[in-house]
Order: sequence, then C-alpha cells, then structure tokens
Amino acid sequence: MAADEALARRSEETNSVLMRLYGWQPHTVSLGCFQKITDFSKAGVLAHWPVVRRPSGGGAIIHGTDITYGLAVPSSHEWSKRTEDLYSAVHGALVQELNSCDLKAKLVEVAKKDQEQDFYCFNRRAFGDLVVEHPLASSASGDCKILGSAQRRLSCVVLQHGTLLLRRNPQIQGEGSHPGLEDLLQSEAGSVGDVIEGWLQRLADQLGGELIQEAGFSYSKNNGDIMTRTKRYETTTWLNRR
Amino acid sequence: MEKSRRYAKSHEWARLEDDGSVTIGISAYAVEALTDLVFMQLPDVGSTVTAGESFGEIESVKAVSDLYAPISGKVISVNTELPSQLETLNDDPYGSGWIICVEPIEADQIDALFDQEAYDKLIGG
Repeated sequence: MAADEALARRSEETNSVLMRLYGWQPHTVSLGCFQKITDFSKAGVLAHWPVVRRPSGGGAIIHGTDITYGLAVPSSHEWSKRTEDLYSAVHGALVQELNSCDLKAKLVEVAKKDQEQDFYCFNRRAFGDLVVEHPLASSASGDCKILGSAQRRLSCVVLQHGTLLLRRNPQIQGEGSHPGLEDLLQSEAGSVGDVIEGWLQRLADQLGGELIQEAGFSYSKNNGDIMTRTKRYETTTWLNRR
Repeated sequence: MEKSRRYAKSHEWARLEDDGSVTIGISAYAVEALTDLVFMQLPDVGSTVTAGESFGEIESVKAVSDLYAPISGKVISVNTELPSQLETLNDDPYGSGWIICVEPIEADQIDALFDQEAYDKLIGG
C-alpha cells in the first residue's frame, strides 16, 4: 500500500502515468477502505491470515494466486477526469487481449445490486468489472470475474488498484474460491505471461507512448519514501479504522 | 438573498455565514462525477481542518475520494444525518447536503477561493 502511495506521488511529481505490478507473499487478505474489520474476523479460516487495508474501496480480496497492479494517473491526464474512463481504459485493454485469445471476456454493464455489498470483491458484479463466460464459472450468471479494480481519487492524482486472478487459490474453499486466468486459458491459445504483456502494450498504445519497464520500484528498505509511508499502513489505527 | 459560495479547485464549496462561521460542502459537479455514493466518513466536532488537506472521505461504488478543506478552521458542527442519507448530496448539495461547519482560523481565507464565475469556467460551464 505504501509503495502504491509512493507511486502516486511520483506520478504527480513527474506528471506521468505509472504502473506497478506485484505479487503477494505470504498469502494475504486486503480489505477495502471502508470494510468493517469485524466482518473479516467472521470470515472463518481467513481470520487467521495476514490482513491489510487498502486506501481504495471495494470488497475483500484474497491475494497469493493473483497479480496486483497499481496505476497512478496525474490529474492533468484525460483518464483522470471521470471514474469510469480509467476503468474503461484498463479493463477494456484486457478485454481486447483476452478476446484475441478466444476467451469471451466483457465488461459488466449492469451492476447486480444484491451483490454490491458482498464481503468478497470477486463475488460482486459492479459496472465495469471484467468477466469471462466460461464453463468453469460457478456463478448464476455463468461468468467468472477475473479482474476487479477500485480507485482512490486524490487532489492531483488518481490511484487505481486492481487484481487479476491467475489461478484458483488451493487454500480457499467455498464462496471465496474463484478460477483465474491460467484456469481459463488451459484449453485456449496463449500463456498468462503473453496475456499480461499484450495487455500492457495495449495500454501503452492507448496512451500513445512507449511502454518502459523499470525494475527497482519495489517494496524495499532502501526506498526511504516508501518506508516512511509504510508507517501509516502498519498501524492498528489504520487497519481498525472501521 | 442567497449567500454567495466560493469554491476550491478540488470542488468543495464554502459559504460565509452571518455569525462568521463557514459552511462547507461539495459541488454538484463533484457529486455527479462520483456517481453512486455508498459511504462517507466525517471528522469529529472539535477537530481542526487545514486548508488543502483531507478532512474526510466519500466512497462511491468504484472510487474513494478525499474531501479537502477549502479553508482552515475548527469543526463546530457536522451533518451527522448525511452519511445515512447520501442521496441528499445529489438532491441538494448546497443546502441540506452541507457537510461540516467550521470556525475559520483566518477570516479572509475564503476570499482566495474561486467565485462562481471562476468555478464555472474551471468546470467548463
């Protein structure tokens, strides 16, 4: 969370669109900004997992078999003007990439109101969520949600978080268990790595710029800015804010 | 005659009341951009807000937005009904949709904010 916040500040300072991708070790639950900590403590086996709270909203996400992105867009950029524009750009690019792999991906157009307050992010269906029609889907709608995102809109920059499920988490059973991209690609052309590369390239193409991959902006004790911001997210005050 | 509002670049409005206090809310433009509102977190009465810094948060279905204080002051009242009646922000953002009222630290800080004409230009109106 601290690294994403530092990314947002760097985006604001350099007036550039920045994105970082990261995995999770150990497996961790992240709560949305306003989710109740008491709901987490009732979540059965998850109550013993490490837990963090995101600065963005939405439902709980079980991390460990996913890849998470943080995308920072300065307020001068057209993608920052309306909430839905950034979703359309990021999710739409992945829809195009998945469709090129013969997966029936689309964006949710009508939110399912009765699911909007579900504890788990991937049980919800909000406008703009990315779903794939697939035989592995267990939802009544016959689709799998594999990418969910949420924004934190600051004064000069928008930070959008999102998680792409890569595969079903073997430690989770029941309503928190969802197939991921690897599971859906098994019988189709393409690998997860190819899909992600293609997705990022499509985003870069939309921006009309060059995709520059840089290693090193990582959660590291050598990054003073990130370590300073970490203090906020490590406090029980932040975790138990609601 | 309706008291005039001033606006911050971050779309909060401020209105100087007869007793010297300043009522603060968010503009109709900001409410419309937020879309479906689901939750709001407000400061406590007695707390201090600082111009340009976050004093609260509002969550819509897909975004959490910070509320930024247009001026510095001490919070003397909070619209406690608002978090449970968020539709009020859509219906009446400048009246019953007020968010907090502060006792300003510097009385003339409100003059540095956009007037209606400048704000309308900012939002392309």
